[in-house]
Amino acid sequence: MLHQTATTAPDVVRVEGLVKRYGDFEAVHGVSFFVSEGECFGLLGPNGAGKSTTIRMICCLAAIDGGTIHVLELPAFPGNQAIKQQIGVVSQDDNLDPDLTVRENIEIQGRFYGQSAGEARERAQELLVWMQLESKAKAQVRDLSGGMRRRLVIARALMGKPRLLVLDEPTTGLDPQARQLVWAKVRELKSQGVTVFLTTHYMDEAERLCDRLVIMDHGGILEEGPPDEVIARVVGEECLELSGISEDQQVQLARHLGEAEVTFSEWQGEIWAVFGSQLDRLLQRWQTLESALPRFYRRRASLEDVFLRLTGRDLRE
Amino acid sequence: MKGIVWPRFSHGAVMVFRRDFLAWVKYYKSSLLLNFGEPLTNLLALGFGLGMYVAKMDGVPFVDFIGPGLLAVTAMNAVTFDTTFGAYDRLNVNGVYESMVTTPLSAGEIVAGEFLWEACRSLLYGTVFFIVLLALGLVHSWWSLLLPLPLLITGALFSAPALFVATKAKNNEQLFYYFSLVITPMFMFSGVFFPLSKLPVLIRDLILITPLVHVVDIVRALILGHPTDSLWVDAAVVVAYTVGLSILPATALKKRLTG
Repeated sequence: MLHQTATTAPDVVRVEGLVKRYGDFEAVHGVSFFVSEGECFGLLGPNGAGKSTTIRMICCLAAIDGGTIHVLELPAFPGNQAIKQQIGVVSQDDNLDPDLTVRENIEIQGRFYGQSAGEARERAQELLVWMQLESKAKAQVRDLSGGMRRRLVIARALMGKPRLLVLDEPTTGLDPQARQLVWAKVRELKSQGVTVFLTTHYMDEAERLCDRLVIMDHGGILEEGPPDEVIARVVGEECLELSGISEDQQVQLARHLGEAEVTFSEWQGEIWAVFGSQLDRLLQRWQTLESALPRFYRRRASLEDVFLRLTGRDLRE
Repeated sequence: MKGIVWPRFSHGAVMVFRRDFLAWVKYYKSSLLLNFGEPLTNLLALGFGLGMYVAKMDGVPFVDFIGPGLLAVTAMNAVTFDTTFGAYDRLNVNGVYESMVTTPLSAGEIVAGEFLWEACRSLLYGTVFFIVLLALGLVHSWWSLLLPLPLLITGALFSAPALFVATKAKNNEQLFYYFSLVITPMFMFSGVFFPLSKLPVLIRDLILITPLVHVVDIVRALILGHPTDSLWVDAAVVVAYTVGLSILPATALKKRLTG
């Protein structure tokens, strides 16, 4: 297989033609992407898109049925210790050890990574301070709030001094304060040179944190690129939401869509949404019409718009 | 053979052992109490109560006969309870194993760590019961000093099938099947309460292919002080069982965690 000769640093994760099957069902079919050193990379998609399966294969927790994954230039396969030694994983559930104290939970993690008792103690102390958990060091994990548990799970994933940190929905169920703190910590890690691989259902989170992202659905990749570029490409820069509008009015207004760079328009329940760029031209034009312009709300297009555009509005269960 | 996983005794396994120890320290009082209530009741009620009506068993007073047997059972049960219910929770409820395999630890190391810990647990609980026997004047030989050896192996031996059952169980209730279909019958028929010598040959042979009876033989011989050459056979069976069964949980856990 040929690889382009790279002059920059090698990719931290390189996925090529990845396939995963469960019986007859192909959960992932022919997915390829890469994660560069030091970036925050997002893997997005609705439930059942194949995200978790892909993550499990990257973390050497599931067998690969086709294609290849290289993590830090090592081939991924179940139980590859050379990779596992260099990554930290924050899984979706708070799988802290309920029989151990806060400090014990992360100290023992360091020991699992082969650290000496002294080394693990020192690193655990650093991380407890950094995650603002020091005062809870002796507490049982069941006595922690949701936000604290999450911080502890992240601190634990950092015990092995990972070069790649995998965050699988790190802020699900957290209150806004706790989310902000997690975001701040992720940015700090990035500035320290840690590569971050993130999945999330919160599009604002992905938009804020990710340098680059991939949107998956039905086991394949739909879009790839920096959030701004993906948004501009798929839906345009902004959105006009018109409410309290009749269908006649809509037909009349829609005649002028060609006068701006409209990517698409659609009914979202009672709201007619118009996506595109330079929509002020459209607004100006509409204001010259005889009929009064209905109430409208103008906003920046977001990753959420992209996500819904690509994966549809149907519920996934 | 392909797909078979052996327990892997490594630094990582020792750290899994350490994790179990740290967890145990937090509830050792209730754990000791829970594990002693039943065998102690059996010893006192059956040994001294029923013992009044039973002249002798295999040449020794009834209570002296069942004491060593109950010691072996105490070790088996301490290990079995902890491994079935404990491991089931660590696997299915708390995600402790799931978290462990995201670190450099492998399923084989997790299983090896559990074996190490259960060997120590067996030694610990067996020793405490031994002290009870000692206090009641039921220990008759210096051979007893060798007891740690069979106790350690007993711990590893019985943790293997229990861990396997915990890995395969679909819900908590299924663990009880293991107790009522395997552990309790073994407890009743493995020469703890009566010698096998008077049983029909077929039934005796059937019992002799199970592991507990051999542990009971060894423990009783050491405590009563009449070891014979047949103990080597018992020891060989116990070791063979331990080694053979050890691939079950490691293989099943690996499949479960990274399948």
